[in-house]
Amino acid sequence: MKELLATVKENRQIAEGIMAITLALPESVGKIKGGQFANLSVGDSAFPLKRPLGVCSVNGNDVTLCYQLKGDGTRKIAQAEAGDKLSVLLPLGNGFDLGNAKKVAVIGGGVGVFPLAAVVEEYAGKVQFYSYIGFRGRQYACLTEVFGNVGELTVVTDDGSLGAKGNAVQAFADDLGKISPDLIISCGPPVMLRALRSALKDNGVTAKCLVSLEERMGCGIGACLVCACKKSDGRNARVCKDGPVFDINEVEL
Amino acid sequence: MKLSVEICGVKFGNPVIAASGTCGFGREYNELYDISTVGGVSTKGLTLEPRSGNPVPRIAEGKSVILNAVGLQNPGVEEFIKNDLAWLRSKTRVVANVAGRTLEDYEGICARLDGLVDMIELNISCPNVRAGGMALGIKPENVEEVTRLCKGALAKTPLVVKLSPNVESIAVNAQAAEKGGADCISLINTLTGMVIDIERRRPVLANNTGGVSGAGIMPVALRMVYEAAHAVSIPVIGMGGITCGKDVVAFMMAGARAVQVGTANFTDAYAIPRIVRETEEWLSAHGISDVNEIVNTLRLN
Repeated sequence: MKELLATVKENRQIAEGIMAITLALPESVGKIKGGQFANLSVGDSAFPLKRPLGVCSVNGNDVTLCYQLKGDGTRKIAQAEAGDKLSVLLPLGNGFDLGNAKKVAVIGGGVGVFPLAAVVEEYAGKVQFYSYIGFRGRQYACLTEVFGNVGELTVVTDDGSLGAKGNAVQAFADDLGKISPDLIISCGPPVMLRALRSALKDNGVTAKCLVSLEERMGCGIGACLVCACKKSDGRNARVCKDGPVFDINEVEL
Repeated sequence: MKLSVEICGVKFGNPVIAASGTCGFGREYNELYDISTVGGVSTKGLTLEPRSGNPVPRIAEGKSVILNAVGLQNPGVEEFIKNDLAWLRSKTRVVANVAGRTLEDYEGICARLDGLVDMIELNISCPNVRAGGMALGIKPENVEEVTRLCKGALAKTPLVVKLSPNVESIAVNAQAAEKGGADCISLINTLTGMVIDIERRRPVLANNTGGVSGAGIMPVALRMVYEAAHAVSIPVIGMGGITCGKDVVAFMMAGARAVQVGTANFTDAYAIPRIVRETEEWLSAHGISDVNEIVNTLRLN
């Protein structure tokens, strides 16, 4: 984990309201695991907080982060051009550990596909992936090729404009009998993660399920206790340091 | 170059202390740099019992400021003593920031930490039973009362009272702390504020309001540090929006003997070592060989 002044190599739109920024790091930060994230400076002192963004792809010392244009900060980041310098703190969080899993189901919703893309790239060829990726509509779809390249992919949209009309959890549940995964990994809005937990329970799935959570953060390294989530035992966990990846049964969603 | 400062008999290697709540108990930042390079660490606010804090979101951003409403989440003073205190003391000076719901809570936690830490800093900006749910830090009579009670529980460790800026007169409250027996005051704690998500017509923070900190509040903090430092004879630790060495110099000129840095740690994870270095550079460039020489050297127009 280091904070570095990175050089922007590319900052481009990959879907409506979705950007991918590639940063050239001046030095290695060690291994970056899929599901880990980076805290990226907005590059303007009017914005004291860095933005926690999921790492989508790693290529040597080049790191690509994807982000949704959400507020003034992300819009400011979107203005960064090749050659600009931005401070970035990474890698942060625990990331996904697939252990010895051989057949992994990937369930992603909307911007939740970003960290999952890095996971499937990291384990490509070593694991059989079955990905179920959902978007609101065709114009918001991105990174689908990453999942298609490493295994079987089902894309669905809320409005049916790309793939079947439906949601990722339902598409996964429909396939359960066929794929019998030994691990499930997921990232998406809380409503999707809750639906996933119900689907696993309703279908008697006993395979482990890991989910990545999102929360507003301060330091990003576990010191400030801003990004708390509730564990099922009632205790707090830090999304940035203890997570963002948790067992789905271990946290309140 | 002499950067060390002595406050109430406690020697800090340099005048830059990590502000409470931004640095935990020092372990996480120690993964990024040697935490012994900071003058001291004011711990995450400690209470007698563990606290789980407020619902999320607990943080929001305004222009050049942030707002937080963490709600004193902490593992409780016993866990701190058991797991973190010895380690942190082996690295740097430890200022234990403490809070409570009742006066007895404050007295109890001070008694528990007496002799175990370098300084105790009272957070009197949290809602308190004694003040009818209002913070103890608002009315001077409450400031004096809680200070006197805590001072009575301390035989060995110097007492710092951290003043709230959300008050009628910072000078009067500073004097109240001094009258109650405070060995030192620190200020400013956060200003109370709100950020609204206009699309949802709701405050961003789950708690609706939160404490405003960061560069945007520095002029307010400087003015208050100046007023407080000139109202009391005990030492003052200044804070509020420091992001660079020049800011440290300004606070010390206004009367602070040391400073604390909080929000800047989020903007730049290496903020404190950088700020220490920049302070030293400014002093060198101005032919000053001892940081203490700049304290209280402000001349008004």
